[in-house]
Parts: sequence; C-alpha cells; structure tokens
Amino acid sequence: MTSPMIHPMIRPPASVDVHSGPLLLSGIDRGPGLAAHRARLGALPEPGIQSLVTLLGDVGVRGRGGAGFPLSRKLQTVMRARGSRATLGGRRPYVVVNAAEGEPASAKDSALLDVAPHLVLDGAVVAARALGAREIHVVSSEDRPWVGAAVHRATNERDDHGIRWVQHEAASRFVSGQSRALIELMAGRPGLPVTSWAPEAVDGHRRRPTLLSNAESFAHLAAVVLWGLDGYAAHGTPEEPGTSLLTLTTPPASDGVFRGVHVVEVEHGDGAATVLDAQALGSPLLVGGFHGSWVHPRDVPALEWSNAVLGEVGARLGAGALLSLSDGSCAVSETARYTSYLAGESAGRCGPCRNGLPAMATEMEGLAFGADTRRRLRELAGLVTGRGACAHPDGTARLVGSLLTTLDDHVEAHLDGACACSGSGRAPRGERPAHTGTQHLAVQR
Amino acid sequence: MSPRETVLRVDWPECRARGLCAELFPEKIQVDEWGYPVVLGPVKASEERAAKDAVDACPRRALHLHTT
Repeated sequence: MTSPMIHPMIRPPASVDVHSGPLLLSGIDRGPGLAAHRARLGALPEPGIQSLVTLLGDVGVRGRGGAGFPLSRKLQTVMRARGSRATLGGRRPYVVVNAAEGEPASAKDSALLDVAPHLVLDGAVVAARALGAREIHVVSSEDRPWVGAAVHRATNERDDHGIRWVQHEAASRFVSGQSRALIELMAGRPGLPVTSWAPEAVDGHRRRPTLLSNAESFAHLAAVVLWGLDGYAAHGTPEEPGTSLLTLTTPPASDGVFRGVHVVEVEHGDGAATVLDAQALGSPLLVGGFHGSWVHPRDVPALEWSNAVLGEVGARLGAGALLSLSDGSCAVSETARYTSYLAGESAGRCGPCRNGLPAMATEMEGLAFGADTRRRLRELAGLVTGRGACAHPDGTARLVGSLLTTLDDHVEAHLDGACACSGSGRAPRGERPAHTGTQHLAVQR
Repeated sequence: MSPRETVLRVDWPECRARGLCAELFPEKIQVDEWGYPVVLGPVKASEERAAKDAVDACPRRALHLHTT
C-alpha cells in the first residue's frame, strides 16, 4: 500500500488577456456579436462535403485539441461511415464541439468562445451541413462557466435553419475533455474516459458517426471557408499554412491558480521572440501543457511555432499551451508538482494509471528533494505508457520523461544541490519553493 | 498491405488484475508489479488457441482478440 497523498490543486485562470491576431482573433475589437461578425466576413458559404474535404486537405488543418489529427481525414471518415443519402436513416451523423479544455494551463478555447464565438459555431454549422448532421453539441467545462454562457448567448442570436444546438457541461477534471469522456457525458453516464474500439468518427454519439473536434479546430474550418484558400494560406508557411492559438503562462501560484495568462494567435513559422520576452527566451519552456514536453533554454530562442521546428527538439504544439519558467522556478520542483496534480486527476479506472501515476508522483517528489530516483521514474514511465483507456498516463509519462531527457543538466545540478531552488537536496519535506506568480511573458505583437 | 495480425487488447477500465490471462497464456501475457497484464507482442497462429482460452477465462471480459 502506498501512503495516501495530497495532490496539489491547479485551476484554470479566472481572467485572460486576449490579443488581436491575424485570422481567428482579427475581429475581437468589434465584440462577440453576430451582426458585427457577419458584417465583417459576409454570409456563411455552404460547401459540399467533397469541396470542404479538399479545401481542408489543401491547407492541412489539424485538430487543435492536442492529438493533431488532420481534420479533412476525420470528415472523410465520418462521411464514409454514414454512407449515402439513401441509407442515411439511422446513421445521420452528429457534430460535437469540444470546448471542455480540461487542461488548466490552456485557456485558448474558452477565450475564443468568449471573443469570437460565431467563428467556432460557423465552423460547426459548415461541417454539419456538409455531413447532413442536424444536431450540434457544444461541451464546455463547469469550472469555466462563462464559456457555456457565451455559447448560450451566441446560439440564441443565430438562426441556423434545420440545426439544433445542444449544450453540455463537463466536470472540472483534467480527463473530462478527452473525446470518449465527452461521448460518455452526452450519453448521460459519468463523463470519464472508457475504452473505445473504434474512433468517434465511426462509432460516436448514440453509436453514430460523429465529427468530434476541438473548438479552435472548428474556428479554423470556418476561417478556411470564410477567407478562402488563398486568404487562409497567406498566413503561415507553405508546409504549415495558417495560424495557431497559444496560451502563455508561468507556473501557477501556490493557491494553484494561473495568473497573468495571455492568449495570442501566431502564424506558423513565427519565431519564439514574437511571444516570449528576454527572460522567457532564456528559461525552460513546457510546450503542450501538462501532457507536453520541456524545451531546453538553449533551444528556446531558435524555436518557431511550427510542428516541423518543434519536432526537432522533441516537442509538439499540441493544444498550444506554453508554460515558461521565466519566473525562476525550478523545473524539477515544478515537474514534481504537476506530476502530483496529474496523479490526482486520474479517473482511477485503469490499473496502470491508478497505481503508476501516484508512484511516479512519489518518485518525482523524491527527485525534487534530492534523491536520485531517475531509474525508477523511467521504469514507471515505460510501465504506464499505452496502458489506459485515454492518453492521461502517456501524457504524464511524456512530461516526466522529457524532464529527465531534455533538462538532464538541470536535473544533475538539482541533485548536486547546485540548483538555485530551495527544493534542492535539503529542504524539509512538505516545503516547496516559493512561487511568485509574477508575469514575465510579454506579448510583442 | 501488411499481413494480417492478431493482437490482444485490454479493456483497461474493466480489468481488475485477476491474473487468469497470464496463467493461461504466459508466452505472451505477463503481469506488472500491480498484477495488471503486460501484452508481449502479436499472437502467432500457433498461439491462437491459448490466446482464445485467456480471453474466455477473463471474469471481467476485459481481454479482447483483434485481427487487424
């Protein structure tokens, strides 16, 4: 038996600074209303499924929930699974907008629905019309109640003939935003991950083909349709056209709340310095949120916001959550804190996750207090990976693995007691390095 | 086209580490330190009988054979 552990609470930001951007965030000065949205971008086109798939394939739009699956292929899979119009009867697809944003270090989906809800809803409507869906479900999270309210206001403004809007609120839990957890919630069961033998695109809500994607993904779908191929591809690089939303944070304060959070829209290929200030450019950067990977300070200045460049340092944009240790926090202590948080966020349904994550959290705490637990941590990371109904164990193992691999010099220094943080070596148990929570990420757009 | 492959998959939320699968098919199923199955690669044609026995024996119906 392991001794019971108190997991730290980490909560999403209560307020976020949203900055104007090139596409998705280009109209935020005009407010979130439908009239301003239509006046700026015109009537919503209704492309057929083939032209929509081609359009999305040409600009290579990928899902923005973390996994990065090509949206055009997801649409094709739903279309194939639903079959022809003649046999549509019991196979009419559903569209689900995932705005649950269980990752507390991310605020871009909630920000987007707050400032530009109609772009997201437009994307869902275009997809629904192309697929012959009549119901669009929008799932937000109960710990960000203003998101559900923003969606409610926006859907009430709209008149989407033949479309029924359904809203749900997921529990405030890290794994609640996982796609299968959403399907469970929508079915009236506890919104927790279960094993899926087929993707939602084939076997989703009410066992029908379901286009389930992240809120930002739908906004990109709308942007491609509203700006057109050339207008959209005028941004970004030839290999990765378009933009991405990023959430910029520093470690949450000791009360677990993120403060001084910024949401920005970058063009793919923009350099790190477009969003990071001098201090952040010289500090470890966690890319992809708590399921993401650490990037070494020596690699941060040369980063570009594209998966091609991030891939070279073993990172992925994922859902675009960037956490910088520009406040001087120690990467080992912070990773220990996040691992403990993630262990507490396990739904506890899958054995390897239920047992392995608390074990990893204990060993990470040991590492933070100066014990060389690296071998055991690697063993545990290997043991939990790929052995759960969702990617929670994999993501937690990725976070820990990237600390040991990418920031190995920092870990060495920490174990030698040479790390400046108070957690190194000899801090009494239970005491953690102080977090100032000050804001060091400047937005220079 | 890659050749057809038969693999064992665990329904993790259903599995309660009873361990019958590892007893019946030790060639491809071991247990981890908490008693949960570790599947060691795809099932060969000669092993399909044992694999099916392990699947059928699971009291939680948490082990599945999939042919890809």
